[in-house]
Amino acid sequence: MAIAETSALDPIALDGARKARGTLTRTRIRVLMAFLVLAFALIVGKLVTLGGTDTDAEIEGRAMDEITATRPPILDRNGIEMAVDIRVPSLYAEPNRMIDKEGAIRDLMSVLPDLNESMLRNRLNRDKGFVWIKRELTPAQKEAILKLGIPGLDFLTESERFYPGGAEASHIMGMTNIDNKGIAGIEKELDTDNVALLQDLGFARDRNLAPVSLSIDMRVQHAMREQLLDALSRYQAVAAAGVMLNVHTGEVVAMVSLPDYDPNTPASYSDLWMDKKNQRFNRITFGRYELGSTFKTVTIAGALDAGAIKLTDSFDARFGIRFGRFVIDDFHGKHRVLSVPEIYKYSSNIGAIRIMQAMGKDNYRDFLTRAGFDAPLQIELPETETSEIPKEFSEVGAATASYGHGLSVTPLHLAQAYAAFVNGGILLPATLYPRSQQQADAIGKRVISPETSEEMRYLMRLNALEGSGTHANKLADGYRIGGKTGTAEKVINGKYSSNRNLNVFASAFPVDKPQYAMVILVDEPKPEDEHSGETAGWNAGEVTGRLAARVAPLLGITPDFSEAIDQDLVPKQLHMID
Amino acid sequence: MIRVLNTILAVACAVALIGVYGLKFQSEGVAGRKIELGQTIIDQQNQLSLLRADWAYVNQPSYIEPIIDRHAETLDLAIIGAKQFKSLDELPMRPAQLDPDALTVLLNSLETGVDPIAALIEAN
Repeated sequence: MAIAETSALDPIALDGARKARGTLTRTRIRVLMAFLVLAFALIVGKLVTLGGTDTDAEIEGRAMDEITATRPPILDRNGIEMAVDIRVPSLYAEPNRMIDKEGAIRDLMSVLPDLNESMLRNRLNRDKGFVWIKRELTPAQKEAILKLGIPGLDFLTESERFYPGGAEASHIMGMTNIDNKGIAGIEKELDTDNVALLQDLGFARDRNLAPVSLSIDMRVQHAMREQLLDALSRYQAVAAAGVMLNVHTGEVVAMVSLPDYDPNTPASYSDLWMDKKNQRFNRITFGRYELGSTFKTVTIAGALDAGAIKLTDSFDARFGIRFGRFVIDDFHGKHRVLSVPEIYKYSSNIGAIRIMQAMGKDNYRDFLTRAGFDAPLQIELPETETSEIPKEFSEVGAATASYGHGLSVTPLHLAQAYAAFVNGGILLPATLYPRSQQQADAIGKRVISPETSEEMRYLMRLNALEGSGTHANKLADGYRIGGKTGTAEKVINGKYSSNRNLNVFASAFPVDKPQYAMVILVDEPKPEDEHSGETAGWNAGEVTGRLAARVAPLLGITPDFSEAIDQDLVPKQLHMID
Repeated sequence: MIRVLNTILAVACAVALIGVYGLKFQSEGVAGRKIELGQTIIDQQNQLSLLRADWAYVNQPSYIEPIIDRHAETLDLAIIGAKQFKSLDELPMRPAQLDPDALTVLLNSLETGVDPIAALIEAN
């Protein structure tokens, strides 16, 4: 019984002890589990906080890598760099990590003496994680600051834009601000185009972008700027500008406007010029002018193409034309009956009006639209101006418009039209990017027939041989230049000024196989010496001649002096008269 | 049995500890070297960008022209004139070459007192 009792009791006791040990183990395991869970929870919690914290990638409100964003190099058509990125160190401080701020200020002032001390103290005493001290340092300055060994200072590599040509192509390049964003010219265009998108997507950060090629030829650009600078001093002009287009593709080969500025120091854009503000804009695309007699080419081209006149026609230019109280007469007029080539050669206002009247003023207005004078410029620059041409011409309005007064357009509009007149009659919007012949063919619009284009080339060459373009032709002998002068009285305080002129020469060369069209402007020129005149042939014409002679060999145009070329240009119907 | 297992585990722990620490230090060293190399790359890229800018600068027509002007006199340079261009077919033909053998014969005969040219002229 006792055994039975113990044996009956024992299992209970044994069971109790095992149970007790079992519960203890279970408790231990639970504690351990709880500990482990807690530990892992801590780790997870820490991870979550780490993941949630924004590492200080913001600098004064902008992402760190936005500052180091690069811009693509810009090349001319031959691969000469027009704009490159330089990577430069910029100095910043983390004030909350700095120990001796006064000492740091003293040391920094010794290396960078042009810093403003009070401003520096102000910045360093701000409770911020990041303040700029000086941006865009030279390598030597960086070295000197590193030697100071101040804790809490560090460098960030920024991209800075550098224009190796300086002011050479200022208006094409535009400029960038200190954050390397384009704010004018092709730089701004690039930003609105695709660079900004790339930068937003993070592709343009800290790596090399494919270079962007332009249609500009830096050699021609340089030569044009040289010639225009020469014109400024030679004719004591207040401004000068020029543009050269490839007539077959509409590519801009060179575009200069003086006074200009150095895009490396964007502030130079607002420098005074002859004590006047706001003179450094791009006169080719952003200036709007009455371009005077150069429009006679447009009038004659329109009338010839419409069949309203023939080259063999003659018009009475004996007397001025009366419109109410006004009489429009010729400048140094011949006052006789003039043939169409003579009207062009002698630049007869009366003749131009008669030709326009033969065509009809509404047809003439339509032709101006067709020749692209109304359309906004498509050139890839933000700085463009629209034309100002009356929607409908009055009788007198149309009369003045026929010789280029009472309507204003940009010089680039005129260059585009001249290119169309000589290239066989196809109007192409000017572009700064390379354009192939195929692309040009796809977008070109016919303005005049190829036959009219041939007649226009004859007229332009005739004017260079016998008319107002002789100065240009003499200087560019052999390169078969053809063109038309325009001497427009400037509008000063709402009135035409008789002694301040805007002189223009619009031309193309070589006229037998035209390749380039050019418009040169010289603003308020004075005669070079007592033997020279004031009209456009003497200044804008001479600039054109010198420039053509300088650049034609560069552009692969072989000179030819044979008279047969000029005779070949004479249309058949004129042969029959002789 | 358990004791042996424990010992093995303890040794394994110690080895693992040393291993992990070793790895940690090594990776820290590698990370440091990476940063160093990255810095060198940035520095060299910066220098490269400067050199490229220098090259672009000295390659500009506006930089080259003054140099040419400066040396134009000593090197006798001038802008090429339109009249200086000629095409290949404008070049004159090469003049007929002398016949050296015939010349030798002529000189020899002159030395011997016979003048074939004079004879020819007289004959006509």
